[in-house]
Amino acid sequence: MSPASQETLPLLLEIGCEEMPARFLAEAQKQLGDQLRAYLRANRLLENPNALLETYSTPRRLVAYLPQVAARQPDKVEDVMGPPVKAAFDAEGKYTRAAEAFAAKHGAEVSALKRVTTPKGEYLALETREHGQPAAEVLSRLLDVLLWNMSFPKSIHWGKPDGAKFSFLRPIRWIVALLGEGKSAEVIPFNVAGVPAGHKTFGHRLAGRNAIAVSGFADLERNLRAAKVEINSEARREMIREASKVLLEGSESLVEDAELETWHVNSTEWPSAIAGAFDHSFLELPREILITVMRGHQKYFAVEDSAARLRPRFMAILNRADDPKGLIRAGHERVLRARFSDARFFWDTDQKIPLRDRLPLLEKVTYHEKLGSYADKVRRMEAIAGEICRVLRDQGKMTLVDETSAKRAVQLCKCDLTTQMVQEFPELQGVVGGLYATAQGEPPEVADAIYDHYLPQGAEDRCPRTTIGAVVSLADKFDSVAEGFRAGLAPTGSSDPFGLRRAGNGVIKIAIEALPGFDVLAFAERTVEGSRGPVAQGDPVGTLCSFLRERTEFYLRTSGGLRGDTVRAIVHSFKSWSPPSDALLRGKQLEPFVTTDAFQALAVAAKRTRNILSKSATQADRGDRYGIEEHLLSAGPERDMFEAYLKLKGQLEDFAGRGMYAEAFKQVAQVRPVVDRFFDKVMVMDENLDLRANRLRLLDHLNALVFLRFADLSQIESSGSTVGAPTSEEK
Amino acid sequence: MLNFQDTIFALSQFWAKQGCVIALPYDLEVGAGTMCPETFFRVLGPNPCSVAYVQPSRRPADGRYGENPNRLLKHTQFQVILKPPPKDVQDVYLKSLESLGIKLSEHDIRFEEDNWEAPTLGAWGIGWQVMLDGLEITQFTYFQQSGGIDLEPISVELTYGLERIAGFLQNVDDVFEVLWNKSVKYGALRREEEFELSVYDFEAADAEACRKLLDTYEAEALRLLSMRVAPAFRPASGGPHEAGRSQNAGMPAADRFPLRKVYEFALKCSHLFNILDARGAISVTERVALIARIRRIACESARIYAARQAAQPEVQPA
Repeated sequence: MSPASQETLPLLLEIGCEEMPARFLAEAQKQLGDQLRAYLRANRLLENPNALLETYSTPRRLVAYLPQVAARQPDKVEDVMGPPVKAAFDAEGKYTRAAEAFAAKHGAEVSALKRVTTPKGEYLALETREHGQPAAEVLSRLLDVLLWNMSFPKSIHWGKPDGAKFSFLRPIRWIVALLGEGKSAEVIPFNVAGVPAGHKTFGHRLAGRNAIAVSGFADLERNLRAAKVEINSEARREMIREASKVLLEGSESLVEDAELETWHVNSTEWPSAIAGAFDHSFLELPREILITVMRGHQKYFAVEDSAARLRPRFMAILNRADDPKGLIRAGHERVLRARFSDARFFWDTDQKIPLRDRLPLLEKVTYHEKLGSYADKVRRMEAIAGEICRVLRDQGKMTLVDETSAKRAVQLCKCDLTTQMVQEFPELQGVVGGLYATAQGEPPEVADAIYDHYLPQGAEDRCPRTTIGAVVSLADKFDSVAEGFRAGLAPTGSSDPFGLRRAGNGVIKIAIEALPGFDVLAFAERTVEGSRGPVAQGDPVGTLCSFLRERTEFYLRTSGGLRGDTVRAIVHSFKSWSPPSDALLRGKQLEPFVTTDAFQALAVAAKRTRNILSKSATQADRGDRYGIEEHLLSAGPERDMFEAYLKLKGQLEDFAGRGMYAEAFKQVAQVRPVVDRFFDKVMVMDENLDLRANRLRLLDHLNALVFLRFADLSQIESSGSTVGAPTSEEK
Repeated sequence: MLNFQDTIFALSQFWAKQGCVIALPYDLEVGAGTMCPETFFRVLGPNPCSVAYVQPSRRPADGRYGENPNRLLKHTQFQVILKPPPKDVQDVYLKSLESLGIKLSEHDIRFEEDNWEAPTLGAWGIGWQVMLDGLEITQFTYFQQSGGIDLEPISVELTYGLERIAGFLQNVDDVFEVLWNKSVKYGALRREEEFELSVYDFEAADAEACRKLLDTYEAEALRLLSMRVAPAFRPASGGPHEAGRSQNAGMPAADRFPLRKVYEFALKCSHLFNILDARGAISVTERVALIARIRRIACESARIYAARQAAQPEVQPA
């Protein structure tokens, strides 16, 4: 007897590999689960789309477990359509040749045919039944296809064990594929890359090289634990936390590093920790360098006291339960001693040539093949920083002394690229320059600016601490973007080989957060226009400026947290982007209003006004005047609106001048009844041409002041529609 | 406790037992054991290959005048090529560590992702750095391409860093304190050499002379390559080696092509490039162009080798 269609069986799959890279492991685990669910669904083995599916991973295995997959595919019942009933029977009601031929083609008796009513009429049809197959049979065909179709950012090819060129994250060395559990568990027969599926797994490398037979998921989990493998990565994370907590002394804590912790979770099968020590004298080296040495090369956690001072200790995570003879700790301490000695050697050697004497060496450091050396870049940065400083001094945000410091910082900021320390630890560029500047007696404001000048490195990162630092960073990133565009390295689609989007995001973030009030967009237009040099393609000024506007819009939507329609309202307004910090402020102060009834109504009025002004009315309709002629205004709604307009005009400029956009928008909201009444009662396109012209001019003024001045109200979406959905442009 | 030369003996013995030919170090300056013809060429084509050898490797930029206890201009690699690799290649590798007296049960061995690329050779691979209690002791690579050619079958390349391993085995922090044999230290044999090579590479090297040498070697390689189709060289008749030459005089012209010499010129160029680089003499645009020039010779050599293999597979000794 075949099992009933509801009968289910547990399915276990384990792909055993050589050590997979920690950085890809979580994604690989997820992909295996997603693919498995999709394949099982598509093959009618998983009726419930939300059926339980658990996945696990260690560096040496990907595991998927489904407690309930169908033991057998349900039968697939389908009607195969035959001839129309009209053609299937002759006058005497007997089957025609057409009907008989159809039945014969499908190996059935005509009597088995049934009648089916379709929109086209009545037809004969044959009900066919594709018998479902046992899950094991389906899976044995399906699982190797699934593994063939998995894809990874970087995969390896390790030979053609079964004649085909297969690649995976790392070589596959064993496969467990079981359907059913306990004594009735059966191996699903398939093989991939020459590895046959079986029921044997392998433990931790230290647990020996013998295979372990398993009969289901619980058995696998239990046996692997006994063989020092914890397949649950969150459990491993706990093991790491527990193990290191126990080793901390007094008020010590680990210097927090979530990324490093996850790396260890994904590169161990059975983690534990050891605490090592290093010589006090190394603490003379700066914290940043010590942490980078410990983390970057050795993957150690640094240890600090309650006052955030580094302790001469470190935490190493092991991929085994213990350090039976203390040899592992001694080994790590020895390696770290060598690494720290190296760093100290770099520090001492680097001091022999101070940063200020390294400027000429930058002539030989390539910035970019097409853009010359870092010395060239520093010269350009000096000019840009000078321009920025001039603007900031005009705004009263900088002194001449500050400007001198900024210039000094620009000259020195790239010099650390020639030091051994940065060649060894590229991620410390800038930081090393700042530390060396301090050690070499540069003023603190110069050293801090050098230290910070690569910030911000991402949307979440902080900006430089000081205005001088912000100027140096902005000059650096602005130059990267402007020169990148000039050399034809503009980003296209998903490709951005020169990292211009990131640099552009940095430019905008600094302009908004660190130098509020600085109009970087206007600055770009002025500066780039003034620059000379070969141009690789098209119109670099236009391209650069529209790129920076795009980055501003991106910032407003992401870091700024504004709704899509708010951003459009801001960028399409007369006041537009300028400066970007003001655009953000306006957007934030506009948002509380956009869902109010008054603004929803004003948005409609704004669209209507725009339609009238751009579609219905011609320039001739407006007459040859600009101003509004009061004597032509009729009493009532028209006159009221004019009065409201006059009153608003004064108030808005005043509020806007003080950055009080919320107040301005509040005033705007109040004109709603007047505007509504105007459109209700007044015929703009009056037959009297003078009246028509005057009314159009009134609308022109109203449009400029109310609907477009600080925000383009016509961009606001009705609250019913989805936030951020594109508006259809009315023409 | 194994001294430095014992370490070499132990690894050689181990891999000899695994069926590897123990080859000799190559007699030209190379940056890594990968650059030796035993690796660069033999990973190409279908013929199996198991070979291991010690290879002194020079990286001028790493020179520290023999003053830094952890860094050497010339370090020693133990290189193993397994083509095709056995399925338990990782276990075999771990056993090689045991052959050095390392008890795996007392240590923490990790295979950490580390992929490898040599742009001047058009070669790259995917694999790990093997960490022993936090010390990188081996580069373990599944070779994917050499000379710009996709490899099939794949070779596994193991590169042991012998100084590091010896320092570990002897529990010594300073490489110059490592015992070479029972009584002679590494420093006694090598420190002066480190110093002199550093002086040359960082101070004394004449960039113009190095550049000219590089151009000359390149030109010689290109001259040979240009004659590949119709070689102008023929054994001279009546010369002192007439008898020896006469046997191969009738060979097809293409088979007489001195391929390995072309590749040796690429190696010469590569080393000169490294000296110029350490000297800080490579200008902005020059760098990419120089790498491309050397790669061209290397890749061209690889193509010729692969074509020969395809035409006439080597007979592998049993």
